[in-house]
Amino acid sequence: MLIINILFGINFAVFAVFAVLIITEMMGSVLMLIAWEAVRKKVLDYVVPVWEVTGTFGAFWVVASDFAFPKILIPLASIFSAAIAIFLILFVARNSTIVFAEFIKKKGWLDEKKLYTGYSISTLLLGLVVLVIITGIIGGNGIDLSRLTFSVSAWAGNAASWLFIVGALVIAVGLAPVFYDLAPLKKLVVPFTVVGLVVSVISLDMFKHGSLPFLVAVPIILALLVPVLYYIPNTVKLVTNKVFFIAWASADIFSLEFMVYPTAFGGNINVNSLISTGPMASAYVAITVVGLVILAVLIALYSIAVYRRSAMMEKAASTP
Amino acid sequence: MSMVGFDRFLFAFTIGSHIILVSMSIALILLISILEFLYLRNKNSYHLALIRRLKKVFVISFGVGTASGIVVAVELINLFPGFMTLVSETGIISAFYAEIFAFFLETISLVIYVYFEGVFRWKYTNLTLSIVVAFGTLLSGVFITMVNAWMNTPNGFNIPVYLSTGKVTGVLPWVAFATPSTFGEIAHVLTTTVFAGVMLIGAFFAYKYLRTRDPEEKGMFRSMLRIISGVSIIDILLAGASGSNEMSTLLQYQPLKYAAMDLNPTPGTGFSERLFGYLYNGHILDSIQIPGLQAFLAKFETGITTLPGLSQFPASDWPPLMIHTTFDVMVVGGLFLGLFLFITFLFYLFRKDFVKNRYMMYFQIFFGFFALLVYEIGWVTDEVGRQPWIVYNVMKVYQAANYSTGQLVPGYFIIAFYLVLIPATFYFFARVFNSNPAREDMKPVSEGGVNY
Repeated sequence: MLIINILFGINFAVFAVFAVLIITEMMGSVLMLIAWEAVRKKVLDYVVPVWEVTGTFGAFWVVASDFAFPKILIPLASIFSAAIAIFLILFVARNSTIVFAEFIKKKGWLDEKKLYTGYSISTLLLGLVVLVIITGIIGGNGIDLSRLTFSVSAWAGNAASWLFIVGALVIAVGLAPVFYDLAPLKKLVVPFTVVGLVVSVISLDMFKHGSLPFLVAVPIILALLVPVLYYIPNTVKLVTNKVFFIAWASADIFSLEFMVYPTAFGGNINVNSLISTGPMASAYVAITVVGLVILAVLIALYSIAVYRRSAMMEKAASTP
Repeated sequence: MSMVGFDRFLFAFTIGSHIILVSMSIALILLISILEFLYLRNKNSYHLALIRRLKKVFVISFGVGTASGIVVAVELINLFPGFMTLVSETGIISAFYAEIFAFFLETISLVIYVYFEGVFRWKYTNLTLSIVVAFGTLLSGVFITMVNAWMNTPNGFNIPVYLSTGKVTGVLPWVAFATPSTFGEIAHVLTTTVFAGVMLIGAFFAYKYLRTRDPEEKGMFRSMLRIISGVSIIDILLAGASGSNEMSTLLQYQPLKYAAMDLNPTPGTGFSERLFGYLYNGHILDSIQIPGLQAFLAKFETGITTLPGLSQFPASDWPPLMIHTTFDVMVVGGLFLGLFLFITFLFYLFRKDFVKNRYMMYFQIFFGFFALLVYEIGWVTDEVGRQPWIVYNVMKVYQAANYSTGQLVPGYFIIAFYLVLIPATFYFFARVFNSNPAREDMKPVSEGGVNY
């Protein structure tokens, strides 16, 4: 069993939650672009209160990474400077379009649908930029560590990069009907999820140069469980529950930690050599513990609010 | 422009835009909390309508401000990786990290406050949630200001060893939360940030008051302007007192910055306060002098009689001396703002309604924008005054900068994007604020008012 450094573990767990939140928004974005009228209620009921939390988790991951891996900041800033700047533009575009869409009343050419389309496109592109950066961190694709540069042509010339992105997107499309509980799209769940997993495993194997560890079985099994549970009538309610899905998917992504630990960038960088130690590590753990207690209380309060609102809506619906 | 110059410019532009949204957000949520308190006490329908309208504006301000804040956070890594490496190896990263949890406090309580209204039956729910959101917002500001204070007066690691070897040793993570300038800077930053935001919102309400013919709206806007004037009058007193304290801290811990701001060519005693003017061949030209005032203030606040001068420090370490002018604009601007608010106070004292005075409303509009300008100039003074250092006496900007040219084109896009985003955001503020007739917003939810 691989024992991971606690700072790395905390950081990767935060990344896993952030990744799941952004992926669920990407799923919603694809659905809104394809079938706006049919899916808008179900997608917006989830996305509208949650997009702010996604952004906060993004900031959480960035600062947690600053704290945990100070020695990698200069190389990362040089390698991904353009990608980071593009990410920032898309992030502001995503936030501003969704918040404007939330409150707009039609006047002139600009309306809710156009703004949500802007949000969907910027969210999808944002997710793609994140995936490109992740392929670089996992496999070192397109990266020259001696000159600290990133070559788009070298990155694009590596099939593992493309397969990783295609695999992730196909899995996301496959699981979107489950997350948003869209029964008419039920038949897409199994084929898309299975094909996406196959493509993803091929890409991961290429990243690891044909020596993918058996641990990869854990994320595969976790991912396959979702369609299975969705097809069992008694477990549909459980698997379409947003909190359950996000927790499950976060655990799934967390189980992929072996792709970047103990070595990252195609095995060229030893992660342990980058991690904060001594009093800084203690401070990191102490603040994280206090912060997570606060976060747990807030999430509990939020869950109570969601539960009460659902109960109120059910009561209103059942009242003649 | 060199890459260091580009890094400087891009960051200054981004944060200069970002702080407009920050001051708006902080001021909005404070005003909303005050309105929630007043509505709970008086059940005044004007206050209810204002809460509803400002809540929507706050959500927009928060949404765009959050994205903009993340741009600033990531730009720090991207543009000044050397600086962020030092920050991450010393205790001050803890302040950034703690700020994230303050941010969660703000975000999640805001989501509950806005999107789950009515699910909790406790009558103090809305007031409590608005206060928690305000607390989270202010706490975020406090932690970020701690980082800035550390940049001005760094501590928490062995600085001599770092300067000689480049290695960070002797780290004391918790000490960085309280540098010699931390508490003074927090006091001044918070009071001025709230002030700038509240005055800007006041300008909007004064404009709306002058424009509208709807008696319900007139009443609503008058009610808001009274609250705004009360907050502004208290706040400018606190901003003035904390600003004076800031100068004392500078005198003790950043004497070069103090000398540049007061344009003292050489150290000495009995100095005049020099308003404006410039240094030419060691002489100050074209300044307005108030004899003995600088020396009197320094002695009164710190007991120090011999004041620092630029000649004590190598010229290569001097900040651009334009900060003397920006400092004077900030102080004189603050005095004009104080004078305006003193006149407003006189209206109260003589039981006159200042809102009904058309000229006072014109001045409210003018001084709303002027307050924002003074606030921005204050930040320029602080940041340019620390140049060429990014961390005072520890790391210069050129040592921290990113020299990768890959960020040039996206950087120009970020600038262009902000030039569209900020006006668009303010346009949406106004559009969302006006989206419902006043009478509709004044009705309780059960009678068909706005329900989120």
